[in-house]
Amino acid sequence: MTDLLALVVQQSINGIYLGCLYVMVALGLTLIYGVLNQINFAHADFVTVGAFAAFFTVTRLGTKVLGLPDTAAYLLSMVTALGVGAALGLAINAAVFAPLRERGDELRPLIATIGVSVLLENFQLWLFGPIPYQFDSPFSSETIRIGRIFFTAQSVLVVAVSSSAIAALYLFMKFTFVGKALRAVAQDRETAGLMGIDPNRLIALTIVIASALAGMGGALLGPVLVLTPFAGATVIVKAFAIVIIGGFGNMQGTIIAGLLVGIIEAFTVQYLGSGLIDLVVFVLLLVMLALRPTGLVAERKEENV
Amino acid sequence: MSARFAALLAAVLVVAMLPWLLQTPYWRGILVLCAMNVLLALSLNLVLGYTGQLNLGQSAFFAIGAYVSTILVKTYGWNFWAASLAAVGAAGLLGLALAAFAVRLRGHYLAIASLGFAVITYQVLVNWEKVTEGVRGIYGILPPVGSTIGLFYLVAGIALLVYVLIDNLVRSPVGDTLRAIREDEISAASLGINGALWKAFAFGLGAAIAGLAGCFYPGFVGTLVPDAFNIIESFTMMAMVIVGGMGTMIGPVIGAIVLTFLPEVLREFGEFRLMIYGLALTLVVLFMPGGIVQAWRTLVGKPITGNR
Amino acid sequence: MTYLKAENISKSFGGVHAVLNVSIEVPENSIFALIGPNGAGKSTLLNLLSGIYQPDAGQLYFQGKNLIGLPAHRRVRLGLARTFQKIRLFKQLTLLENVRAGFHVHQNEPFWKYLALGSVGRFDAEARELLDFVGLASRAGERAGALPYGKQRMLEIARALATRPRLFMLDEPAAGLNASEVDFLLDRLTRIGRRGITVVVVEHNMDLVMNVAHRVFVMDHGEPLFEGTPREVQDNPRVIEAYLGGEFAA
Repeated sequence: MTDLLALVVQQSINGIYLGCLYVMVALGLTLIYGVLNQINFAHADFVTVGAFAAFFTVTRLGTKVLGLPDTAAYLLSMVTALGVGAALGLAINAAVFAPLRERGDELRPLIATIGVSVLLENFQLWLFGPIPYQFDSPFSSETIRIGRIFFTAQSVLVVAVSSSAIAALYLFMKFTFVGKALRAVAQDRETAGLMGIDPNRLIALTIVIASALAGMGGALLGPVLVLTPFAGATVIVKAFAIVIIGGFGNMQGTIIAGLLVGIIEAFTVQYLGSGLIDLVVFVLLLVMLALRPTGLVAERKEENV
Repeated sequence: MSARFAALLAAVLVVAMLPWLLQTPYWRGILVLCAMNVLLALSLNLVLGYTGQLNLGQSAFFAIGAYVSTILVKTYGWNFWAASLAAVGAAGLLGLALAAFAVRLRGHYLAIASLGFAVITYQVLVNWEKVTEGVRGIYGILPPVGSTIGLFYLVAGIALLVYVLIDNLVRSPVGDTLRAIREDEISAASLGINGALWKAFAFGLGAAIAGLAGCFYPGFVGTLVPDAFNIIESFTMMAMVIVGGMGTMIGPVIGAIVLTFLPEVLREFGEFRLMIYGLALTLVVLFMPGGIVQAWRTLVGKPITGNR
Repeated sequence: MTYLKAENISKSFGGVHAVLNVSIEVPENSIFALIGPNGAGKSTLLNLLSGIYQPDAGQLYFQGKNLIGLPAHRRVRLGLARTFQKIRLFKQLTLLENVRAGFHVHQNEPFWKYLALGSVGRFDAEARELLDFVGLASRAGERAGALPYGKQRMLEIARALATRPRLFMLDEPAAGLNASEVDFLLDRLTRIGRRGITVVVVEHNMDLVMNVAHRVFVMDHGEPLFEGTPREVQDNPRVIEAYLGGEFAA
């Protein structure tokens, strides 16, 4: 294998690894938008909370309290992060999205979630302080080598878990009754309601799933992230970009866009550094918005006058 | 005209007296900050409250005002006022650039695009070290007026002037036009209103005013680092506008004053400043979307008709 | 003179033709009705005339001036005004503020005056007159969103009249109005016509069409079906067939 080819393959693998993580976070955003036409600005903060939950599970709960070995503790942390994310999703639905739903106001919920985001970040700052928390997944130290390509067991785990979650979600949406009902609600809430589907419960379910995904994403991201209360802010930039590039509410588009962003980052991070990556991604985003405001995959909708 | 004039006179008197009521240098500094926040809140309110554009990138214009004026003074030896004029112009131009996006995008898309704008500006400030000194910062910046009291009178005076001008604008047919765009852009177009033009106007003017506030910030603090213009500042401005009362004139002023002083008054809770903003913003949006102004009007028994 | 002329106008959405090869000539000072069963493309045609949509093909002239490519807000300055099928008022503003916004195209004070003086050049008095014309003068200070449906329609008309149009297009103004409100609307439309304003009205309500219109243009499935006087249209077998006899029992 030539040097260049090895490099390309290596970075592609890294890119897919990162991409899977981003997709997990972005999927939640796009799901919520699809069903509710709302953006949860606090979504990336759910990721942070999930990561903190994972941290405490790995370092305290799993190992010290339950006496589990490191690997089991890490796997447990994914579950707790998922649970914490789900709980947060329930809370924000009950507090913000459900009460404001009848009003039909587009912007109030968005602004409310901005408030929640600021609140969450600074609450965590008060709880945890500004110094980054560090925890390692026990899988990060195991390297696997195929020819000249290296990757860690952690990256295999991440890709396996996230792609299973994404696949499960995709199948769920496409083939189960609840999944189809969700899509019905996304398309036309009133009519879905008339057909005996309770949109409120389904919307709540969607938000819980989306937030659970975000939380679990936090557990998977935790070892790679600089874990401060403001970690969400770095992730949300890319998450928004992914959702817009892929098209709001469009699952396939989000998956493609997420992998794309991950790959771009893997290839450019050594030359640019993470701050500039944000810049590149957002410039791409603005270009995208200037040229095709509805995203790569979606169609144009004429406004109904 | 007479009632307004009396109110203006009262405001001038209050402003004149404030530095003598709060005598320590620390509190006088807070007064200067408050005056700057009033300017910023007024600038965002023009775009968000009156024209209905969800602009999350206002911190970018604040930053441009600060950096352009400071660099012109420190690196090129310009006079403060000339540099400020140029900085205001630069901020206004950048505002027009953002308006170009606002013309084609609505609601959530605009919110994210404007956020992107702010993030890009921030990253440029951090990374273009040759010009901005990046995170190292620029030091030894002098304010245009030596004393804190003097600086306060200057900034507060400018804020008062800007308030009067915008108030005039909002009471005039321009205000009707902007609010029409806010309420329903399509029917506004059916009345002959050129949405793109007036959005550009609102963004440009709003950006220029934010840039103007930015000119006084580095001198006040003494140093200039990009972190002072993080996107959290956009959210802070938004909190001030919304908590005070979006789409009214006095609302942003009240919001700026309350959110500047509240964390100071609750001294022990100083580190809770941002938490308070987040909480206040969320609660206001959920329960009293018209902010303090709406609460006041409900209390006093005045019905909410239109806006002012 | 043909005031408003459309030649072979077509518009499709996602491959489906909403309007296909429609040609219309609206004479000056007339009241011109556009009718057809649901989905006939009447509203789309109105949107094409007013500039919300640009046609895929065809020509469009107003007073001899080419309208193709001209955005909606520019057409207002030429003298075209419209109301919407789904009422689009400025709900948070008062009635007076709604109508005042309509005077936008007549603002001609130098900009610095607005900055320096505030309430100059506001057409408050004329706005109140228009509110009076639609019977809403006493409610000028109320929030538009609080009005009952029928009155909201009239407010929309008053607001559009503020632009001082030469040609006024209304999209189903009688929809949702009770009988006495329809009578009032008929009366106002007649008066508007007598003021020299050409009226183009899309309507389902045959009372309105028969009593007020001078000429009627019938559409079906996006294509032209028939044109003539109200009487001619009422007797035409193809028109009756298109409607399946439902609405012609006037």
